[in-house]
Amino acid sequence: MDEINCKQLVELVTPYLEDSLDEPTLDLVEEHLVMCDWCVDYVEQMRATIGALAGLPREPVPERLRVAVAAALEERR
Amino acid sequence: MPSASSTTLPDFERLVEQHYGSMKRLARTFVASDAVAEEVVQDTWLAVVTGIDGFEGRSSLTTWVFSILTNKAKTRGVRERRTIPLSCVGASEPDEPAVDPDRFQCDDDAWPGHWATPPRPWQRPERRLLSLEARDHLKAALDDLPERQRVVVTLRDVEGLDADEVCDLLGLSPENQRVLLHRGRARLRAALESYVEGV
Repeated sequence: MDEINCKQLVELVTPYLEDSLDEPTLDLVEEHLVMCDWCVDYVEQMRATIGALAGLPREPVPERLRVAVAAALEERR
Repeated sequence: MPSASSTTLPDFERLVEQHYGSMKRLARTFVASDAVAEEVVQDTWLAVVTGIDGFEGRSSLTTWVFSILTNKAKTRGVRERRTIPLSCVGASEPDEPAVDPDRFQCDDDAWPGHWATPPRPWQRPERRLLSLEARDHLKAALDDLPERQRVVVTLRDVEGLDADEVCDLLGLSPENQRVLLHRGRARLRAALESYVEGV
């Protein structure tokens, strides 16, 4: 394979972002990204999605659990 | 992660708050109800507080906590006769493209396989995706993912565990872990895209 198209690129984004592509495939991805702004946008959106997941607000802790953990900690002292 | 000893305990209140939602979500894949999942989370934290002196720091504290959770949830799941073969993904899973194939040019077009309907750039995504509404939208999309994708995305991207840790916890092969993460993230990007374009 001497080049990949956009449809193939979007299936390689996860291993690309994980840095786990073999070198020939990584070259194909990087060569494609140099030429294709749309795929650059796609990769950027994937990064933004991952960033947004890391920033999701946490689910509130039920009072029962809070109390149980505090009691267990108290018992240790 | 701080190393644990009887004199310097980690900030459990913060840890419980940080991980509660993901722990419940993971437990829920092994047991039949939210109520039982909550019990499993509670049992896990009690075991962690009691056993913290035995934590040797060979893994991160987060991974240690999640491995205790997984063991407890599996035990409960077996007792309830509910076992989800989380590792059963692959050949039997229908092929799921990351992007709707209709968005690419077809074989008769000038550039087969290239975008026909390309993604439109998100202006200042770091600001737009932080709005309360965007977060609610993302949270709902995460909850809507197929169970195995949801658990993998939660552990990888919400909790920040690495691929090896997630494979160990869930008994997944590296390839299956990657496929689930890939499909889950692709669905979430698409959900955010429709949100951003609809605002």
